[in-house]
Amino acid sequence: MYRLMFIQFIRTKTCQLGIALALILGIISIMTGKQFLEDQKKATSQVVEKQEAHIQRNLDLHKDDLGLLLYYLKFSVVNQRDPLAALSIGQSDLNPGIQSVSILTLEGQKHDTDLVNPVKLLFGNLDLSFVFIYVFPLLIITFTYNLRSEEEESGTWKIVSTMSQSTTHFLLKKLLVRISIIILLLFILYLAASIVLGISISINSALFITIAILYQLFWFSLCFCIVTLRRNSNFNAVTLLSCWIVLTIILPSIVNNLVTVNYPVPEALTTMIKQRDGYHEKWDTDKRATLEKFYSSYPQLEKFGYPTDDGFNWHWYYAMQHLGDVESRVESASMENKMIERASVSSSWAQFIPSMHTQMSFNEIAGTNLQNHMSFLKEISRFHEETRLYFYPKIFSEASTETVQWEKFKPAYFQYTHSVNWLMELGPLVVVSLLFSCLAFFFIRKNQGV
Amino acid sequence: MRKNIILLIARHFWTSIFKSKILYTLFGVIIILLFYAAYSGVSYHDQNHFRTEHQEMARQSWEANPDKHPHRMAHFGTFAFRIKYPLSIFDFGIESYTGNAIFLEAHKQNMVNFSDAGFSTGLLRFGELSMGMVLQLILPLIIFFIGYSAIVSDRENGTLKILITQGARWKEILFGRSLGLFAIAFFFVLPFFIITVILLLLEGATTADVWIRLSILTLLYVAFSFVLSFITITVSTNSRSSKSALIKLLGLWLVLVVLLPRTSQALGTYFHPAPTKLEFKALIEEQVLAHGDSHDPNDPYFNHLKDSVLKAHNVASVTALPFNYGGFVMAEGERISAEIYKEQHNQLLQNYRQQNELTRWLALINPYLALKNLSMALCGTDFESYVQFQNQAEDYRYKLAQKMNRLQMDYIAADVSSSEGKKNVVDRNEWKSFADFEHDFMSVGGTLESEAVALISLLLWLALSYFAIIYTSQKAKAI
Repeated sequence: MYRLMFIQFIRTKTCQLGIALALILGIISIMTGKQFLEDQKKATSQVVEKQEAHIQRNLDLHKDDLGLLLYYLKFSVVNQRDPLAALSIGQSDLNPGIQSVSILTLEGQKHDTDLVNPVKLLFGNLDLSFVFIYVFPLLIITFTYNLRSEEEESGTWKIVSTMSQSTTHFLLKKLLVRISIIILLLFILYLAASIVLGISISINSALFITIAILYQLFWFSLCFCIVTLRRNSNFNAVTLLSCWIVLTIILPSIVNNLVTVNYPVPEALTTMIKQRDGYHEKWDTDKRATLEKFYSSYPQLEKFGYPTDDGFNWHWYYAMQHLGDVESRVESASMENKMIERASVSSSWAQFIPSMHTQMSFNEIAGTNLQNHMSFLKEISRFHEETRLYFYPKIFSEASTETVQWEKFKPAYFQYTHSVNWLMELGPLVVVSLLFSCLAFFFIRKNQGV
Repeated sequence: MRKNIILLIARHFWTSIFKSKILYTLFGVIIILLFYAAYSGVSYHDQNHFRTEHQEMARQSWEANPDKHPHRMAHFGTFAFRIKYPLSIFDFGIESYTGNAIFLEAHKQNMVNFSDAGFSTGLLRFGELSMGMVLQLILPLIIFFIGYSAIVSDRENGTLKILITQGARWKEILFGRSLGLFAIAFFFVLPFFIITVILLLLEGATTADVWIRLSILTLLYVAFSFVLSFITITVSTNSRSSKSALIKLLGLWLVLVVLLPRTSQALGTYFHPAPTKLEFKALIEEQVLAHGDSHDPNDPYFNHLKDSVLKAHNVASVTALPFNYGGFVMAEGERISAEIYKEQHNQLLQNYRQQNELTRWLALINPYLALKNLSMALCGTDFESYVQFQNQAEDYRYKLAQKMNRLQMDYIAADVSSSEGKKNVVDRNEWKSFADFEHDFMSVGGTLESEAVALISLLLWLALSYFAIIYTSQKAKAI
């Protein structure tokens, strides 16, 4: 019976067309992912040699003055991403994976964006997560909207109801055929992607695929629920497509507007001005006061004293630079809090909207979400302070540039770690799938059959 | 064709549609979306006040500087904040993906930072609900839902035969139904533009430019509804069952609106890879250094420059020159690096345009894309508007740096090399006399010119949909 149903379905034009479309888009999505990884690989390999050449070039020019040399030198921090990022590019096409910072004021440097084509961002990445979240549900809808009604409209329903023991079982079998085809297709695409993109088997990849499957099962339960209403094909098609639009376009965009409107981030702009002013104003104020303020951040450096007499000195210069960060700290912290708020508001809404939840989970697993970027920013701040504290004593004691082991200054690497909460990731999808399945069986019971 | 018969059929279609409850539900949903989109649009646009406030804050800070060495001011720099065009309330375009603030200082071209997308949790990628988006995305579906069975269901239940035998001609029926459907579509479109006009009046954004753009925008959306209505009736007439008409139209919507744009953009990006930021910056640095390093005392280019300047003024050392040589060298360095940057940046933009090219040309076969591109451009929220902001900011930066270099040459003694302290300074009134950054928007003409492909596409589609109905009417069958 299953075999026949399977063959019968595979032979339909809808099925062949749908599978072909999914495969083509799947291939494009894998290409997109491949390109993404290659870009990243290229940048990561460039950064090592570029940094070495950059240090050497400046070392040649400013050999005699460590203070001046460090005015020019930039050190890179690399956000190392899992290859899974290629499946769900998320925010990582926008937030730079490599940030280069000098030991000057950090606030002016750490939010530097990457070079991106904004039109590309507008249309969005065609990554595998898009295929799973948008295209697969469409496939499911086309495969199931007339599950029952096609039999009725072609006049075979009467035969079915007399021939089979239970029409419900008959429909469930038909559904199962479609479920297995979709899941198989999903596995094929995932397998192809993991071979091409070099994704290893891990907890994260297991979670990724589990979420992808559960999301498809949610759509099957929703479609089956509509089918059990026993309406005609046109009604089902219109209703299901409307559900699709509401879930994948309208609701997420409503939440997005809500977050943007309710949590604007003017602090970003204020921070920008304040860090500039915080540093620059010191050119015109008392030098000793500047140094005192600087030493209050780092008492261990006070032993280098107060060379405040006329003229320029590096103690004072780097103190000024640091005060740019100190004086914009309030705004900077409040900007960070805004971002945390935005993230938490988004994820609480996402629990009720499967498409959003799936996308955000994908991004989290792939390390391409906002939280990942914020941890990266934190790491940059830590790295910046560490580097500064390494160089301050050397600059202040007028050490020669030769006392520094420059070959040790390779790019620093950051790896995002997050603990997977399976319940939080899978729970919402399981609940909503069960909900629609129960609803479907309620309709069946009510109508005493399908 | 008899005009009164067409109108009669159109009116009849209109009243029959208005009898169904579905229409009111759809209309209700659209109105709710309209209000939410309008509210979002106004709130987005209101964020302008953050930007103007910060522009003022930056300006005050600039003017508050005491007498200073001009090179200190060149590094003090200032900021440019991107202001949204009033019509951005209607279509958000790419604005959420573009930076909003840029730090302008000497020697260095900074990135435009702090885009809304950067603060987003990834949610933004689902899209944004704007009035334009509702009309581009949802309106086609509504027209399809209402019109898919317009002809085919009459054929299915036999009324079409009766209509023909009563003397109505095919052309009249098809035009009548198309116009009836178009009238309903117009009924859905109209509130969007009424609300936009009201909002613009409330915001006080009543320049001629805004009204011209809005009028063109209205015409485009009306044309789009016309095309959709005629296509719907064509498909309905050529389908054997209402189900097949519906599936064809929904499939068309999915391909044109959801799948094609993203796919073509992905392919465009794939075939025209853009340089990474690291490559871009390194290339500029290399070219600048290749030209001459003003910091290197042995650099041939700058040594030659020095020699020729000394010769021209007939002096032996730079301290004997009638101007500050440091200022002169920096002006020269700024000129060289700005030229190189401009060239590289233009190449980068050209690279991005190539990435977008496929999607732009696709507008010829995809009226949705044609409308989307035109709508963004007219609302001042497209790629070219952003490029214009970047160029204006860079021009301002260059002028600021060169002004400070000029001041240094003119007012700082020739033998002074340090910029520190209160000795070698320029009067603070000079800062005030240098005007603040102001962002000019593109002209309507320029906008339409850059979107010529889209404009031609919509016109072609208008003609095509008209002829499709005529052609269909010659071949249509009543049974």
